[in-house]
Amino acid sequence: MQREIHIEPVTRIEGHGKISVFLDEKGDVRDAQFHVTELRGFEKFCEGRTLWEMPGLTARICGICPVSHILASAKAGDAILAVRIPRTAELLRRLMNLGQFVQSHALSFFYLSAPDFLLGWDTDPATRNVVGLVAANPDLARKGIRLRAFGQEVIDRLGGKRIHPAWAVPGGVHQPLAAEHHAWIVSHLPEAKATILETLALYKKAFASAELRNVLGAFDSMYMGLVTPGGLWEHYAGVLRLVDAKGKAIVPALDPSQYATIIKEASEPWTYLKFPHYEPMGYPNGMYRVGPLGRVNVCDRFGTPIADQELEEFRAGEKKRSGRVFDYHYARLLEMLGAIEQMEVVLADESILSPHVRAEAGINELEGVGVHEAPRGTLIHHYHVDKNGVIEKANFIVSTGHNNLAMNRAVREIAKAYIKKGKVTEGILNRIEGGIRAYDPCLSCSVHAVGHMPLRLDIIEADGRRTTLCQE
Amino acid sequence: MDLVIGIGNPLRGDDGIGPRVVAELGPTPTAEAIAVLQLTPELALRLKTADRVLFVDAAVGETGAFVRRIRPACGHGLGHAVSPEALLDWTERVFERAPDAWLLAVPGRLFDVAERLSPEGEKALPEAIEAVQAWLRSAAAAESSEEDA
Repeated sequence: MQREIHIEPVTRIEGHGKISVFLDEKGDVRDAQFHVTELRGFEKFCEGRTLWEMPGLTARICGICPVSHILASAKAGDAILAVRIPRTAELLRRLMNLGQFVQSHALSFFYLSAPDFLLGWDTDPATRNVVGLVAANPDLARKGIRLRAFGQEVIDRLGGKRIHPAWAVPGGVHQPLAAEHHAWIVSHLPEAKATILETLALYKKAFASAELRNVLGAFDSMYMGLVTPGGLWEHYAGVLRLVDAKGKAIVPALDPSQYATIIKEASEPWTYLKFPHYEPMGYPNGMYRVGPLGRVNVCDRFGTPIADQELEEFRAGEKKRSGRVFDYHYARLLEMLGAIEQMEVVLADESILSPHVRAEAGINELEGVGVHEAPRGTLIHHYHVDKNGVIEKANFIVSTGHNNLAMNRAVREIAKAYIKKGKVTEGILNRIEGGIRAYDPCLSCSVHAVGHMPLRLDIIEADGRRTTLCQE
Repeated sequence: MDLVIGIGNPLRGDDGIGPRVVAELGPTPTAEAIAVLQLTPELALRLKTADRVLFVDAAVGETGAFVRRIRPACGHGLGHAVSPEALLDWTERVFERAPDAWLLAVPGRLFDVAERLSPEGEKALPEAIEAVQAWLRSAAAAESSEEDA
């Protein structure tokens, strides 16, 4: 007799999801699925709104990563205006995105995920949370709070508020950086860098062995992310690179606006989250991963001294790129370090305080694509407008979608490793959830396939009878 | 210094009562007043140095704007949003102190997508602002009596 195990909802991720594990007659795992059960609809209700509204409108997709949507939307707007934005505007957008990386990665690492691996996978769920982390390591918890607050403060001082700052617009940004805010950010960089280095040292000591880092499974895949034309880690501009499990470039340098030539989206009836994949390899073989591990795996180097040393250590002794799901956490720390170092460079630029931050133009193109790296991975906004700049069609591909195939694969790998002959304990189930959390999925952002999926509702009565309602 | 935190989303009708109260409070020389969409763990950095804190939030089922004392209470960990009691608990655990705290619950009726309050929410607003001002005066009165003593 077959048996199903459901974990609902998955906790400590942004939004709600459900995991189903299907066991065979022997009680071993036959299959596992990560379901996304929320439905949004932004692509549809953006239609009919003006281009100028899009940064503010799409920022409302998410309360955690609004900055990412604002920047991608503004970049799509730049393309439709056909303008090259002022250098200072690009520097300021970069600075805000780096602040977003720090605050988002700090949230994921210190609040959502660290309790799992710093307190132990098998500890009582009642204490395996950030409150338990405080009890175990209060100093680390305090520093984690300050680090995230620093990232948020950078966003606040640039955009006027931490969530949904209506600051980046097609053509540039609304206002320049005030000298007092510049000084504040510069003065707080050393503490942020020290916290990251201390945490990185602690992390490397705790997870020195490959075996410990295999706890959430390891598998080969392709990886995708932006890099500079020279192959350095990139988060705002550059070219799209896709590499194989050994780091060899499959797509060396694609103009991001041409993403649709390599990425297609598939749908499944059991989830609202679509499955982007590398089209030449088909579905589901065209699985690739984005986000911290994806970016770290596609770049040659960070391009900043300390992050480059750490990246070299991360890759030491490896014959191929890391496929360990758990290494998403390691990559998150590397990226926070790289982000702080890049902030130092941006803030030292002599034009950073220039008042010239916006290019004015009308509608010059009827189609525009904005691509940049959100903390969770590559974010794509693609708009079609009429001659007045009114949105006729919008397509968003977000990082959680890019990672959908990989998250399902991770769930299957972990379930197969830790569920044998039907034996299931809380520790095992949390490892499965941990596999999802490692990708830091943001379900608020990623579900927008309104009308594309049939809805299915299973009603199971006490005597086992099942009634299924479907919406075609 | 006291701290007033208005909680809520101004795009969700009466959920925006907290931020609206803060916006219309006027000058508060003895307190800092801020508006947030939701409570997040980093607010512990502000709470740790506050003498007292008043959370202002919309509530369903209330018949008037009432201020009540609240105390730290452990929640189920922290994510990207927490309750006032859990935030106090978190502050106490991390920084070994939490300020005395109160919650002003303001009646709200409609929480759909809307940039304005419902008529009921608008009606509750003056009473809520007066409740915050009374709370601020109570601190000043307490300090004054301490000085007299």
